[in-house]
Amino acid sequence: MSWWDDALHRAVAEVVLAGALAGLIGVHVVVRRLSFFTMALTHATFPGIVLASIIGVNIMLGGVVAGGIVAVGVVALTRRRGQDASAATGVLLSAGFALGAALVATQSGFSRDLSSFLVGSILTVGTQDLVVTAVVLVVVAVGLTVGARPLLQIGFDRSGAQAAGLAIGRWDLLLLLTIQVVVVTMVPAVGTILAVSLIVAPAAAARLWSDRLPVVTALSIVFAVGSGLVGLWISSRWNVAAGASISLTATAVLAASWLPARLRTAVVRLPVAPAGRA
Amino acid sequence: MTGPALRYDGVSVGYQGTAVLTHVDLDVRAGQRLALVGPNGAGKSTLIKSVLGLVPVLAGQASVLGADPSAARGQAGYVPQTDTLDADFPVSVRQVVMMGRYRRIGWWRPARAADRRAVAEALDRVGLADRAGHRFGTLSGGQRQRVLLARAIASEPRLLLLDEPFNGVDAVSQDEIVRVLRELSAGGAALVISTHDLGVARDLADVVCLLNGRQWAVGAPSEVLTAEKLRMTYGGHVVDVADGQMMLVEP
Repeated sequence: MSWWDDALHRAVAEVVLAGALAGLIGVHVVVRRLSFFTMALTHATFPGIVLASIIGVNIMLGGVVAGGIVAVGVVALTRRRGQDASAATGVLLSAGFALGAALVATQSGFSRDLSSFLVGSILTVGTQDLVVTAVVLVVVAVGLTVGARPLLQIGFDRSGAQAAGLAIGRWDLLLLLTIQVVVVTMVPAVGTILAVSLIVAPAAAARLWSDRLPVVTALSIVFAVGSGLVGLWISSRWNVAAGASISLTATAVLAASWLPARLRTAVVRLPVAPAGRA
Repeated sequence: MTGPALRYDGVSVGYQGTAVLTHVDLDVRAGQRLALVGPNGAGKSTLIKSVLGLVPVLAGQASVLGADPSAARGQAGYVPQTDTLDADFPVSVRQVVMMGRYRRIGWWRPARAADRRAVAEALDRVGLADRAGHRFGTLSGGQRQRVLLARAIASEPRLLLLDEPFNGVDAVSQDEIVRVLRELSAGGAALVISTHDLGVARDLADVVCLLNGRQWAVGAPSEVLTAEKLRMTYGGHVVDVADGQMMLVEP
């Protein structure tokens, strides 16, 4: 019996891979203020996955297509002057979830699978899921490294990036689609709804500890993988749902990072030095 | 280069076929400093964006560094208004200035020693060498503007466009920016500076262009910054004060 035949071992490998993936993309989600958009993506992914499973095609494909439609829609809406993107995103979020729920209601005996789409079922992760997560991790890591400069300049200074000749609309779309692929890849581990906590919370926590992007990225990956492993351990120790305990651990990391960061800022602000401010 | 850095003949610019600014005639040569003066909403930023190839030219002939503005995209240096930047973004002052080198390095290749030297020198020129490691968002408004100017310097542009570089800038930074801009044009760069500060336009520019929906006047500061022409441009909200200085008053 090989090491991979144990469900818990496969689960450990999956949380490490999915955690690294979430931590990596999470930094972009947080610094670009795309958390709410990611929330909408996760909800829009749900009907895509349900529909794919009803008609019997690959559920990842269904999720990517559904999320892709949302990503293109949001980019199109934000390019229109005077459109409030957050209103449209919010509507898409609940509409997507409603559509998924409606689709589920048309099927009988579907509710057990439903919960695994929503909150994951890491102990049933197969070798194929592991391979997919590993491949997506490598592709996303290489993509974000190659695109580091354009992404940095667009995130910091959109008009300057445009003036420098970057096609910012295309880069925006590429980033949103990458987030979508990551969300769908994480479905087996933590499900559509809980993916957002593993993407956003570790990166938001890391951002509290450093102003330097490489350090934030490294910490974000460490926090996400750590949350995954600790959550998995809590899950097997006290027999609670793994997706939920992973999400709650990530949230606890954010909460634990917030307090020292607040204290640090307060201490730095105490000696107000007007000198040197030109 | 012998031709003008920027030449507009009877140009109209605008969005989706609707002109924001019309009748623009400009001729800016190497080493010249052009000030675009007009009230808020006059079309100063739109004109700058048209030079960058980001807003289409609807009518007339436009030439930027000897080419069509859309073909010259990425060639001209640009200093955007600081309030369009994300001040919370985790980016250091040094990284911001390095962005000025991207066009030379390429988007993918690693920076070389020459690039790092250019960044250090640019920061030194704006007097912020000691802030290189700080996060951009922790600096004051004037310092942020000087960092963006350093970024433009590092890109070594032949044509540099600055959108309201004196907005929200304290006196120390303003003097520093004016000094650096004079040095840049002495080095042969053509500068286009939008401002609503008549005093700065008078002191800094060789050529002043008055804008408000259209071009109302263009020429030497002493010819253009007159009470009559300013009243025409601003719609009557200008008064003479002592020593030939003008003051804008709200209606």
